[in-house]
Amino acid sequence: MKLSSRQVCFFLAAVSPVGKMVLLPARLAETAQNDLLFPVLAHLLIQAALIFCVLLLSRRERTLCALVKGAAGNAAAKIVCTLFAAFLLFAAFLPIVEQKIMVRSIFYDTLPAHLVFAPFFLLSAYLASRPLRTLGRMWDILAPLFVLGMAGILVLAAGSCDLGALSPAGAAGAGAFGSGVRITCAWFFDSALLLALIGHFPYSKGLAWKGTLCYLGGGALLLLFLAVFYGVFGEVAVLQTVAFARISAFFSAMTVLGRIDYLFLFALAFVMAFFAILPLQEAVGTLTEAFGTPRLAPLFSVGANVLMLAAVYALHFFPSGSVAAVTQTLFWIFPLFTALLPLLLLLLFGRRPHEKIS
Amino acid sequence: MEKKEISGNLKEDEAALRRQLPAQDILAFPFSDRAGRAYVCLFADALTDKDLLAEQVLRPLQAYTGAPEAETIARCTLSPEVRTARALSTLAEEVLAGNPVLLWEGADEGLIVGTKKVPVRAVTEPPTDVAIKGPREGFVEDVKTNTSLVRKRLKTGELRIEMLTIGRRSATSVALCWLEGTCRGQIVEDVRKKLAAVDIDAVPDASYLTRFLTDRPRSLIKQTGSTEKPDIFCAKLAEGRVGILTDGSPIALTIPYLLVEDFQASEDYFVPAYRATFTRFLRLFALLVAVYLPAFYVAAQLFKLQLLPVRLLLTIAGSIRGIPLSPSLEMLLVLIVLEILNEASIRMPKYVGMALSVVGALVLGETAVRAGFVSTPAIIIIAFSGIGLYAVPNLIEETSVVRLVMLLVAGSFGPYGILLASAFLMVALVTTENYGVPLTAPFSPLVGRDLRDTFLKYNLHSLKMRPATLQSPNKRRLK
Amino acid sequence: MKKFLKALPVWIWGILFALLVATFFSNDFGLVDLQKTALVLAAGIDREEEDFVLTAQIALPAASQSGGGASMEITGRGATVADCLSEIHARTGWVPKLIYCDLIVLGESATVNVFDGLNFFLRNEYIPDACRLAACEGSAQALLSSASAVGDTSAIALGTLFSDAAQKSGLVMPTTLREFAIGTFGASASGYMPYVRAVPQEEDSPQQGGQTEGGQSGQSEQPDASQQGGQKILYSAQETALFAGGSLVAVLTPEETLAFSLLEGNVYAGTLAADGATYLILQDSGAVGIGAPPDMALHVDCTLQRCGENETSSPEELPAGTLSAKEEERLSELLTGYLASLWETCAQSGCDLFFFRRSLWRADPKEYAAWKDVPLADLSVRLSASVKSLR
Repeated sequence: MKLSSRQVCFFLAAVSPVGKMVLLPARLAETAQNDLLFPVLAHLLIQAALIFCVLLLSRRERTLCALVKGAAGNAAAKIVCTLFAAFLLFAAFLPIVEQKIMVRSIFYDTLPAHLVFAPFFLLSAYLASRPLRTLGRMWDILAPLFVLGMAGILVLAAGSCDLGALSPAGAAGAGAFGSGVRITCAWFFDSALLLALIGHFPYSKGLAWKGTLCYLGGGALLLLFLAVFYGVFGEVAVLQTVAFARISAFFSAMTVLGRIDYLFLFALAFVMAFFAILPLQEAVGTLTEAFGTPRLAPLFSVGANVLMLAAVYALHFFPSGSVAAVTQTLFWIFPLFTALLPLLLLLLFGRRPHEKIS
Repeated sequence: MEKKEISGNLKEDEAALRRQLPAQDILAFPFSDRAGRAYVCLFADALTDKDLLAEQVLRPLQAYTGAPEAETIARCTLSPEVRTARALSTLAEEVLAGNPVLLWEGADEGLIVGTKKVPVRAVTEPPTDVAIKGPREGFVEDVKTNTSLVRKRLKTGELRIEMLTIGRRSATSVALCWLEGTCRGQIVEDVRKKLAAVDIDAVPDASYLTRFLTDRPRSLIKQTGSTEKPDIFCAKLAEGRVGILTDGSPIALTIPYLLVEDFQASEDYFVPAYRATFTRFLRLFALLVAVYLPAFYVAAQLFKLQLLPVRLLLTIAGSIRGIPLSPSLEMLLVLIVLEILNEASIRMPKYVGMALSVVGALVLGETAVRAGFVSTPAIIIIAFSGIGLYAVPNLIEETSVVRLVMLLVAGSFGPYGILLASAFLMVALVTTENYGVPLTAPFSPLVGRDLRDTFLKYNLHSLKMRPATLQSPNKRRLK
Repeated sequence: MKKFLKALPVWIWGILFALLVATFFSNDFGLVDLQKTALVLAAGIDREEEDFVLTAQIALPAASQSGGGASMEITGRGATVADCLSEIHARTGWVPKLIYCDLIVLGESATVNVFDGLNFFLRNEYIPDACRLAACEGSAQALLSSASAVGDTSAIALGTLFSDAAQKSGLVMPTTLREFAIGTFGASASGYMPYVRAVPQEEDSPQQGGQTEGGQSGQSEQPDASQQGGQKILYSAQETALFAGGSLVAVLTPEETLAFSLLEGNVYAGTLAADGATYLILQDSGAVGIGAPPDMALHVDCTLQRCGENETSSPEELPAGTLSAKEEERLSELLTGYLASLWETCAQSGCDLFFFRRSLWRADPKEYAAWKDVPLADLSVRLSASVKSLR
């Protein structure tokens, strides 16, 4: 096995929440105003249920490709895996664009040259060609970094936070809730990310519950972050593009010490870089397995990253448009692979592990 | 056709051996016993204790009247270390190793006498691993002395010392040490195989072997532990590692290596746990500062001023006015000067080195600042970085390269470049494994119990088990 | 082929390293390094007809090295704030960076629709939302260009005036861009910021400057500064500018500012003067109670200690700073009067300084809908102050 169940739990608790801390808060504040917690809560609960299902599916300790191959043959497996890899590449777009926006905002004082973001794809290509075990080990490192970063920014932001800004609950109305849920679909594809990992970690007793609780724990931290974010910025929250980088700048000791919050921001940015790479790596892994060519993994990796590099730079001057296209026009693609596919697989292969599949 | 074995004809045997040992420092001493039988003793001039040879071998043999069998002749000598060999090549090797060889008329075997006298440095405190509290003995260049230092500390039958000879021409003695039942057998087997596969002319130092003991010899990342102190060496054996002592080198190698080892000093085990924890974190902090400070200083000036408080920034801005170089080139220049000074002061004779340090640190630095070539903050930062690196001396080779790379990255891509380079480094570190043990364990993969003796140092009573990372078959060390 | 593949990673790393070195030595991707940067410490906004006039106070590093806080002011003019900055850039060659901008001063002319100018600062991701705001008498350009009598640049002197310590004295009510924006864009559409007046030192000695009824002074003073000659300026920020709908609607007097500070519970070790004596405010807790509309209550609790008198007392009369019951009553009345004056100013100006509408919105959106357009003057407000002596 390439991953351990502990590492999977770390991913669910500490790595998956960071992907939702850049653009999502401001977008949600725009749509759902002070009710921004409810759409996220709804997504978290749905995703938690789906993650439970995916973890149940992982009891067979077979990969997605192997499951489909066992049931429907090699050709079907290739089709499903190719489609799934295409989805992962599509899903990777938003985190990478977020990464790019975040880099511009927190790592530079003035607009940096286009070139500075390119090395990200080097790291991505390198990591995507490494075995999955590498990523699991990184999660062991990233989990404490996430905790440190989150604790740091939340503590620094606490003094400027007015949680009363979240009142009155429900004032935005059902319409705003619905819109909030719809536009945030693109950020909640954790079950699909986990689906690509099944078969690469051993199923230990109670892992489904543990994993789900870990995800909910990470989700609770995310909700706390969103609450603090809205508490700090209130009505001007919509202007805070890179949410996590903005909330901690009001700590009074900063005038003496300088921006000590950057320590925590860099820790979170470090975790985010690996989160942004994950869908790409999984897409490469899925394709490699589907076509049974592990030696070609570096080539797939280079291909996927060149494709993403081209997409990101081609849409360089359309950041809002490209994000809106993913979150508002093509949002329906996400439930297909995050909900429908896992549920379908569970329906087909959800029997006890000792039972044979035809 | 060249003879390969002793024939019994003394003249022929001596001539054959002489052909293999044509060097002028190989001497022959002919003599005869009371029965008139001719002998010849071949020995290496500088490596043999001639007094001992005369006292224990030659004088008793001159009075010998017995049969010409090797066994009875050996019994006649007073030497406790006597062996026999038939092959001329073996005899030649022994002579070269400092052990005199005795041949006589009618002999079917040569007699090897252990009266070697190799110049050996006294056991002193190692300069690279000084402890204020704790043992002060250090390994020396003689493998036998070193094994004795180990044996002195581990008086158990479980201590295995396997002697190997490596090097086609140097025939260097290498001692493979481990504690049977404590060290995982597979590791011993793998190390033995790797050492056996070494086919090299000479092994002047233990560092030559490190390249052969890893699967990724080209890697920048260090993959074998090293120490000059027998107490540390023994502690590592007791944790379940394999140790390698090399003749001619005071550096002992230990395998498998964990990155966290180099943040631990022997002294940490002789001071209270809270103090050890503090100093370990201090070492980590010093190393991080040493590696990242020059990079962040450059990145802050070029890309992200906000990394510095405004008043500090204004002070820096005042200092760099009129400096002709860009911040990145300035820092690179100062860093290279530091490396040159460092290199020169190590290589120079001691007293010249001191003068050089004065010239480098005071004259060069002061003059460069006054002349406006470099700024004061750059000198301060590099000086601090230079000092910080020595907080973890065993990683200097690697960290100085990483510092340079970070500086280049910072000057090219700014803080995000530093973050990505750190990510690369981290991925490379977590991927590295040796003998089935990940380099970054017990942090990644996480082994909770082993964290008690990493940067944190628990009290001895809490360290009842051996590190699980090393997969020792004997898990408990404290009852 | 096998050999090539084996050596490939080494080649790749080698090429990457070569590229890195090449990038390092050729690096000038439009870099704006420290030497090309104008570090803006404070910005002043004025309006001239339709144009903005932006005064950027720029830190001068050479002087700062010698311990001073030297600066220079550069002014740009344009249709927008961004235009002004471009003009500054074009005229000096330095790129103005606002990352350290800790103060935005609004001149009198810029106090109507303030977010016309502040929007730039609010939306720019490189400008900290934690920067402080102030309105000033006259033009912001004149204020920032004035020479501070305390030796620092005007931005640093004003920053000292808005410090936490000054806030605890109850003499000044500082605010940040974020807080002001939240207030203005929220249900109450109101905000406040200190109102700064420049006081030339030659005219007002430190002893006289900014005297209030109780002799309180919010000026940054330094007795020997007068010897430095020239038009040295002290700054007074004891008044507070009130904004409604993003425009200046009133200015609170120092007494009203103190009452506002007391209501916010900010005061610790401030002073209160009355009837020829000075009292130390040791503990303060204020409360703004929003009951069922139109009910509202403003209440202040203080613990005071007498700390100075203007008439000599005999040793027997020197109490341990305790207040008599009569004094307590008198001071309670005084503070109630301050609160009444404060409320009156707010009600008349339409500035919802206590965020009544916001509180109502948070508590009950339906009530809010019913009351959001009702003038503040129509609210029934109970005012009370309770003063206790240090026992």
